[in-house]
Amino acid sequence: MIYLDNNATTRLAPEVLEEMLPFLREEYGNPSSFHTFGSRVMEHVETARERVAALLGASPREITFNSGGTEGDNTALESGTTWDPARPGLVTTAVEHPAVLETARQLERLGRPLAVIGVDRSGRLDLDDLVRRTDPRTGLVSVMAANNETGVLMPVAEAAEVAHAAGALFHTDAVQAVGKVPIDVAASGIDMLSLSGHKLHGPKGVGALYVRKGSPFLPLILGGHQEKGVRAGTYNVAGIVGLGRAAELAMRSLRDGTGREAALLARLEDGILASCPEAEIAGAGSPRLPNTSTVLFTSVESEAILTLLDMRGIVVSSGSACSTGSKDPSYVLSAMGIDAMKANTAIRFSLSRYTTEAEIDAVLEALPPLIARLRAISPYAR
Amino acid sequence: MWKYSKELMDHFMNPRNAGRMEDPDGHSEVGSPQCGDAMTLDIRVDDDDVISDVRFQTFGCAGAIASASALTEMAKGRSLAEARKIRNSEVAAFLGGMPPEKYHCSVMGHDAMAGAIDDFERRRGEVESALRRVLADPPSEIAALLAGRTVEPVHVHPGRMTLRILPDDGGALASLLASAVGAALGRTVEVRVQPEEGRTR
Repeated sequence: MIYLDNNATTRLAPEVLEEMLPFLREEYGNPSSFHTFGSRVMEHVETARERVAALLGASPREITFNSGGTEGDNTALESGTTWDPARPGLVTTAVEHPAVLETARQLERLGRPLAVIGVDRSGRLDLDDLVRRTDPRTGLVSVMAANNETGVLMPVAEAAEVAHAAGALFHTDAVQAVGKVPIDVAASGIDMLSLSGHKLHGPKGVGALYVRKGSPFLPLILGGHQEKGVRAGTYNVAGIVGLGRAAELAMRSLRDGTGREAALLARLEDGILASCPEAEIAGAGSPRLPNTSTVLFTSVESEAILTLLDMRGIVVSSGSACSTGSKDPSYVLSAMGIDAMKANTAIRFSLSRYTTEAEIDAVLEALPPLIARLRAISPYAR
Repeated sequence: MWKYSKELMDHFMNPRNAGRMEDPDGHSEVGSPQCGDAMTLDIRVDDDDVISDVRFQTFGCAGAIASASALTEMAKGRSLAEARKIRNSEVAAFLGGMPPEKYHCSVMGHDAMAGAIDDFERRRGEVESALRRVLADPPSEIAALLAGRTVEPVHVHPGRMTLRILPDDGGALASLLASAVGAALGRTVEVRVQPEEGRTR
């Protein structure tokens, strides 16, 4: 199998698994317990917190563990539109993950004003519109750090500045960016940041929310006094320890540079553009993650491509889901002004630090004949 | 990944009758602007109104491509009336079943077949009415040959017609009618004369 769907999820790093295992076996104590058997586990939770904080340029006390990116986004949006009753407004973008967009729509139904900022053909955020629509009623501006479909990097620091100039807080869904590009919360003016373990070779079901020290915050999950009362629920110790190790590994690989991954991505893109007529890269004109490329094959439908690649053990994904009788094109590509037909020719390739040159070359060998075969029976192919 | 049958995957991997046809007798293009799925269908029809050849092109998923391919196989050798009646459920059954969520993919094939047959009938109607107009108000050359004769269409096709001409004039009238009808339509229409012995057919 050639796994190029790392924006969906990543393989667990072997070092991460090793670090987790004791907490799934003998060290099953509850870190909140008084007895030594439980409380000694807390040390490992705190080490994980330090490692996650280091990856973000944060202080450990600013990190709260949770169940993942979706929870972080839900919590940040709810808190960011509640902290000041005079500021119930939310400003976000049209290309956010559903964890943000669906929460935003729910909050809107509950009466909190919502403004959704668009992007251009390259996936770039309309900063002028962001400035226009962030007003004294805005409690939170939420702009993702990198788009999950196109890998386009968003102007987080600029957006944070816009938020702060209007007196609002700033949140970023950094689920796709953390571990792939350097992030410094202190330098970028980020008040809240969501991340997820399984996107950076950590375990599923665990993540973290960064909240800047002193920033107004209202917890979403209430119950026990875990995480200083900011996020209740028994510690997912193995998950947290795994996330900590994954963060440490990610930091090391960022320090070594992401040049290798970027070079493999360029090799893939150049190879596809040279061998597949009409192919183009979504968001080609924008700065992007070093691991993500969405190719619009044009004239051949993405699910047909997925099916043929799947038969050859090449694992990728498409932006749309043809599942319930009608097929909706990816809203991210639609927001970029890409028409429905073209949007439904999109295939996303997402690499990881485990991707090899041999795998990229195998894809480049398998793909062009498949595309040619589908083009031969397509009414659109020129 | 969808649970596709072996037959469906075979039609997806090796589509039958894919491509376009030179001068088809009927042609259709259907599509869904919502998802971009699209299909073209070309049919060749013989003088018994039976589909003798079919070609298709499809932009769509494996289910859409396979059901279009299956449809062309099923339509070959059927009369126009029979081909129009091929139901989506029959296409699905021909393919050894389809995931229910994919059932809509085969709808496009049905619409394309109906469209190609409609196109065939429309073009056939054009030939019929052009012939009627020429016979009702014939140019002098044709009028001279028509005197004392009956001309009766036996079969009309978008590209040709078979006429019964009594008494037989050795083909002179047929060739004049062919050019007159062809000129009226701006395309070549072949005219055949049914021989005497064919009268009882």
